[in-house]
Amino acid sequence: MIIIGEKINGSIPSVGKAIAERDADFIRNLAKIQTDASAAFIDVCASVEVSVELETMKWLIDLVQEVTDTPISIDSPHARTCVEAIEFCRKPGLINSVSGERDKMEVVFPVIAATKWECAALLCDDTGIPKTADKRLEVFGKVLEKAEARGIASSRLHIDPLVEMLCTSEDGINMVVEVIKKIKKEYPAIHVTGGLSNVSFNLPARKLVNQAFTVLMMNAGMDSGILDPTNRDLMGMIYATEALLGQDEYCMEYIGAYREGLFGQKK
Amino acid sequence: MSKIEEVKAMVEAGKSKVVPGLVQEALAEGNSADSILQAMIATMGVIGDKFSAGEIFVPEMLVAAKAMAKGVDVLKPHFSADSRPSLGTCVIGTVAGDLHDIGKNLVAMMIESAGFDVVNLGVDVSAAKFVEAVKENKNVTLVACSGLLTTTMPAMKETVQTLKSCGETGFKVIVGGAPVSPEYAASIGADGFAPDAGSAAVKAVELVKG
Repeated sequence: MIIIGEKINGSIPSVGKAIAERDADFIRNLAKIQTDASAAFIDVCASVEVSVELETMKWLIDLVQEVTDTPISIDSPHARTCVEAIEFCRKPGLINSVSGERDKMEVVFPVIAATKWECAALLCDDTGIPKTADKRLEVFGKVLEKAEARGIASSRLHIDPLVEMLCTSEDGINMVVEVIKKIKKEYPAIHVTGGLSNVSFNLPARKLVNQAFTVLMMNAGMDSGILDPTNRDLMGMIYATEALLGQDEYCMEYIGAYREGLFGQKK
Repeated sequence: MSKIEEVKAMVEAGKSKVVPGLVQEALAEGNSADSILQAMIATMGVIGDKFSAGEIFVPEMLVAAKAMAKGVDVLKPHFSADSRPSLGTCVIGTVAGDLHDIGKNLVAMMIESAGFDVVNLGVDVSAAKFVEAVKENKNVTLVACSGLLTTTMPAMKETVQTLKSCGETGFKVIVGGAPVSPEYAASIGADGFAPDAGSAAVKAVELVKG
């Protein structure tokens, strides 16, 4: 599982406050604890007004890179911010994200074409989030077509099929599972990603819903996730699921992560 | 770190892909095949102890044994047929009426990495088949009987007694399995008992060398 550490996000109140007060230590610490918890990317989302977004991004990215070599996931709804923040990063990371909306892909794909940057792509477009599997796969088709046209290999794409809140969904996650399975069947090298905590919005004991969701999504083919790697229960669930899915020879990853103290009893 | 130390560290870490190359390098540096083999056997002893102590898990023992096996493959051409140091042949099987395989295979693996040639008879092995294997194979020094069911304990007793009275000599009998206790092992005439795969290998060496 490719773990994209979600903790540096200005929409989280404590982080928003740290950004407003320019509390550098707070941010550095978030970068460090996620690195220690084996994040593959550190997501950085400023969640501030567009006029100050880029400078805030630079401040955040600089702080993260002071304490870790883990690549950055540049997280912004503005494709131009994503592209402009690339120069702040010491090594290729992840653009989070493009979608079928407006000219997002046209802005991002040419810039990352000849690089090793990876890119998350949401399966929505200017009409919103499509209601049916076929419509989402249509958006996926467009994403792939545009990526291929720029020579971006499918292995550099993280497709986010967009999961609805369970409390208002009519068929649970069945439709999204169908979308993932079809995508993975045709493009085994492509990554499927998504937020692992939104699904449980407005339900009690959200943790349980999130964990069950993670297992089912991984079974469908999800191999990348935006999550809190310091959440020990969730991390244990992820490693256990990988082993159960036969993706972990002799359970050595599971045992290794346990020995590193990523989950299980605190040492 | 010397090459032999590197071999030991990588066997312990279960790095099957790295061990053969390191064994080659150790040979190229002038270490004898036997000294490398002994070093790996010693490492497996450490692994067995850690397993017995509950410090490592079954897969970690498995990958270490696999890594050692890869190293032994590299050494094989360096031993002529009769110069290869061996503690002799160990015949192993699960007794009649019992189909438990996994624990017995772990024991087989650990006994092999301790320096025995192993003849694994599988599961549901009759007393007669054990005796036959002792007669057919050369230099049998140890027979290991596994049983995981309380209901097959009489079969274990029969096996041990048949082996002891079959006329063949020169081998010891070791028994194990969840319902087996040291007292029961002694009462049916077995020479040794071990509670787990790691201890089984230690006990096996002790019995044969002893």
